Amino acid sequence: MNFNFTKEQSLLQAMARDFAEKRLEPIARQIDEENKIPDQIFAEMGELELFGIPIAEEYGGADGGYDGYVLVMEQIARVSGGVAMTLAAHTLGLGAIQKFGTEEQKQKYLPDACKGKTIASFAFTEPATGSDPKQLTSTAVKESDTYVLNGTKRFISNANQPGPCVVFARESESGEVTAFIVDKWCEGYSISEPWAKVGMKGGVLVDIYMENIKVPAENLLGKLGQGFPILLYGIALGKVGTATAALGGTLAALDEAVKYVKEKTHRGAPIAKFQAIQLKIADLKIKYETARWLCYRLGWLANDIKDPAAFAAEAALAKAFCGDNVVEAARIAMNAHGSYGLMKDYNIERILRDALIGPEIEGVADMQKMIVAGSVLKG
Amino acid sequence: MNIVVAMKQIPDLQQIRIRNRKPVLDGVPSALGVIDKNALEAAVLLKEKQGGKVIVLSAGNEEVEETVKEALAAGADEAFLVLDDDLEGADGSTKAMVLAEAINKIEDVGLILFGEGSGDNYSGQVGSRVAELLGMPQAAYASSIEINDSSAVITRSLEDGDEILEVSLPVVVSVLGDINEPRIPSVTQILKAGRKPKEVLELEDLEINLTGLPEIMTVSNLAPETDRKQVKVASVEELLQALRTEGVI
Ligand SMILES: Cc1cc2nc3c(=O)[nH]c(=O)nc-3n(C[C@H](O)[C@H](O)[C@H](O)COP(=O)(O)OP(=O)(O)OC[C@H]3O[C@@H](n4cnc5c(N)ncnc54)[C@H](O)[C@@H]3O)c2cc1C
Repeated sequence: MNFNFTKEQSLLQAMARDFAEKRLEPIARQIDEENKIPDQIFAEMGELELFGIPIAEEYGGADGGYDGYVLVMEQIARVSGGVAMTLAAHTLGLGAIQKFGTEEQKQKYLPDACKGKTIASFAFTEPATGSDPKQLTSTAVKESDTYVLNGTKRFISNANQPGPCVVFARESESGEVTAFIVDKWCEGYSISEPWAKVGMKGGVLVDIYMENIKVPAENLLGKLGQGFPILLYGIALGKVGTATAALGGTLAALDEAVKYVKEKTHRGAPIAKFQAIQLKIADLKIKYETARWLCYRLGWLANDIKDPAAFAAEAALAKAFCGDNVVEAARIAMNAHGSYGLMKDYNIERILRDALIGPEIEGVADMQKMIVAGSVLKG
Repeated sequence: MNIVVAMKQIPDLQQIRIRNRKPVLDGVPSALGVIDKNALEAAVLLKEKQGGKVIVLSAGNEEVEETVKEALAAGADEAFLVLDDDLEGADGSTKAMVLAEAINKIEDVGLILFGEGSGDNYSGQVGSRVAELLGMPQAAYASSIEINDSSAVITRSLEDGDEILEVSLPVVVSVLGDINEPRIPSVTQILKAGRKPKEVLELEDLEINLTGLPEIMTVSNLAPETDRKQVKVASVEELLQALRTEGVI
């Protein structure tokens, strides 16, 4: 067993931290307030190859694996939850295309997306279903060599940006859930106003309205009726991103608390001298370290998935833990700030709002636990 | 024409603690000198304009082979390393000798860049010593470097003004920390750094024997303990006064 980083891993982490501190930190509050990431940031992330870290080089990716992706995601999420969410949803979409796409699909969609010229989405949720995939109502009707898609997709990250969107719909002849790659902004594609959500702002969330979208038959992802396995596999890979985004938030909570308790004084001494404050710092450190190793290991596991069900259980476990963990960590850190923590003058207010997203996305925390319990109790 | 950048492996300064007037180096990872990275960036910018190769040169212990990946990620094309664990204790004159001998083995060198001082000791003498040993002109404290056919135009930022020099090549130049902002390397630049060409020599290959040469041992270090002063002030005036007393403003 070896828990040390290679030199490359250390450099990757340092690079992401450098980028996050120099380029994102100065505008993190602006991103939160405007619910918009400046175009310049997308361009820079593209140049640094952050949009295709776990994608193979032959498709324009950096071939850095999901373990490399985790190291970068943590540092970005530490500074901006909105940028982290955008990157996580994008990488989720690309991961599904890389795994299930044909050679043509991969050549067509991955290179531009890895450069950040296009931004990917993954659209499953609908107004009537989130946790229960069986309730899916969007339809795909075969008409000669196209499929005609209709329906509404709810809460879809990055759906405002041009690029590929993996859409799940019920193929009407077979009644089977099937995945398609839809070019966002094609004819028949429209979106709602962005949802005004509590945190991770800058990561834009909209509903997609599909009105007779004609998808060429060659854009069917995987096989007809393979929608559920693709969904489960894709979402499991996606949890590498969301768990690690929560990890980054946990690190931010720890860092902000440590900074504050050393600066803030009572009767002339920093409040860090109080044992009650020290206990909070210890709790934060424990929360950070436990989440950290779960995420690093999950990234490593994702590089070579042999048993998708086993991996899905690992991903659910990490996501369930890290999602709740970051909310608790942010609360503790806010507590250490007293009333000041409630003010926009301090980052912890935003970190707590960002944290609240973690437990609710890509399957709520309880659903993750059901997956974990299923894997423990089976057989 | 190739550009050689001499870069020193130092302990990661952000992770050092001072205890009992001595730096605690156990478990502190190695990095390359901060200003050395400005020298590298200057070299990469020049290369992008006029071609040639940027060769990073480093002398130190075995660990340098890993540490140098940082420079290869940040734009150096090749590494030229002299590795010997005894080099850790060697003083500036010995290091300069080793670097000069190594440079003699590199082809078509037009420019040799140093940081104005190393990240740890900051004695700022190795560049000048190397220039002397190689019989080359040198310009220290450069804030800009331009290369023409057979000469370099170098702006030196001095305390009371700038000095612009035209020097014939090859030349040894040390750069200031604010000459540029080193670029952030991309993911594949980092991941492929280890695959770039690397030439590794030992002291024997340079016919250098360290026995009898001066060594440096740190007996005591005057670096301050890391505790804060915790000066209390009650007004802006008092704050200003305190800062003046400390010589900060
Ligand atoms: C920031 C953000 C980004 C998102 N991005 C995307 C995206 O890119 N693509 C996408 O498709 N979706 C996305 N979503 C949607 C998100 O994944 C879903 O909202 C989520 O899966 C939960 O679904 P739901 O809201 O319909 O909750 P529901 O399924 O309605 O669940 C509500 C509650 O009921 C409980 N519950 C439901 N079913 C069961 C059950 N069987 N047993 C026990 N309890 C149950 C749950 O525990 C939960 O507490 C995003 C959401 C957010 C907030």
